[in-house]
Amino acid sequence: MTTASVSADGDPRRLLSDVRALTRQVRLDQRVTWLALLVLATVTLVGIPFDWYGMSVRCLPDGSCEFSRRGVLYYWPAALLLAYTTIAVCYVRAARARGLGSRVLPYAITGAVTTVVFTAAWVAAALYFPSHPLPQQPLPYWWLLLDRLLTPWSMIGIALLVLARLERNLALGLFTVGYLATVLLVLPMNDGWGPPHWGIRAGLAVPQLVTGVVLLLGAVGFAAARRRHR
Amino acid sequence: MTGAPDPSDTHPATGLDDVVHQRVRLGILAITHEARRVEFGYLRTQLDLTAGNLSKHLSVLAEAGLIDMEKGYEGRRGRTWITLTAAGDTALTEEVQRLKLLIARVETTGTPQHR
Repeated sequence: MTTASVSADGDPRRLLSDVRALTRQVRLDQRVTWLALLVLATVTLVGIPFDWYGMSVRCLPDGSCEFSRRGVLYYWPAALLLAYTTIAVCYVRAARARGLGSRVLPYAITGAVTTVVFTAAWVAAALYFPSHPLPQQPLPYWWLLLDRLLTPWSMIGIALLVLARLERNLALGLFTVGYLATVLLVLPMNDGWGPPHWGIRAGLAVPQLVTGVVLLLGAVGFAAARRRHR
Repeated sequence: MTGAPDPSDTHPATGLDDVVHQRVRLGILAITHEARRVEFGYLRTQLDLTAGNLSKHLSVLAEAGLIDMEKGYEGRRGRTWITLTAAGDTALTEEVQRLKLLIARVETTGTPQHR
């Protein structure tokens, strides 16, 4: 028996190519990537005043200052849980409107888990460090990296990696790797940025502003790509 | 060749399931697998079929136990949702595997040293 005995309708190459094309189309129709990025950008930008006004700064006679980011601790856990719930509901509704099921639930669960991890780490740090001194200065690089990883901005990236995997979305995967590299390696999310006269509040607001703008640009880019595709 | 045939020598085309090895039905299984749950209208649009034609293919798959169909309402509009059963998932995986084997077999026998 050879392939000639299989009907033209059952040509294996054509069948496999059809399966791949249909699968790809379903994945595209299930995605609302721009919306997820827009929600996360909004949450990031709205969080800046919470950090600004919720921060307590105590400057010592030697010129050094200690600060505590209470605003981050109070705002971000609730904001992230609300964001992931919003994203999950919108994904399910959008897919349902198109006549499809959705794969977003593992993403929402990952988002909730990363929120719990970040909150637990920050609460632990808030309880531990007032009565224990920081390790010898300068802090090792891995310490700074871990500190940046346990911020809400990095946790957003970790959850986005899961979303990219679930959606088999290479573009989102590449965007997220770039985003995480920016948040972990480029932006000083935990020690501020800018000239000394800006002060600690403005110095810590700038990296958040950049992060929010990166997410916003991502949302615009994915929305434009979707429009072009349609 | 002598003796009993080795099962590994069996041509992949001999194991093809007639229910699944059909362009439309394979498409239904592929879409349903990826979407987890799919509405009748989406299948009709993607596969470019009439409602009657799609219904016939869905009946064949449902009778073979490869899909489940659930009818309901959204507002006043009737909707039929299709989900893949465990048997349907297995059938799709096996069919795709056989198609890949078949293509590999054709490509191997098509190379000059095998002619």
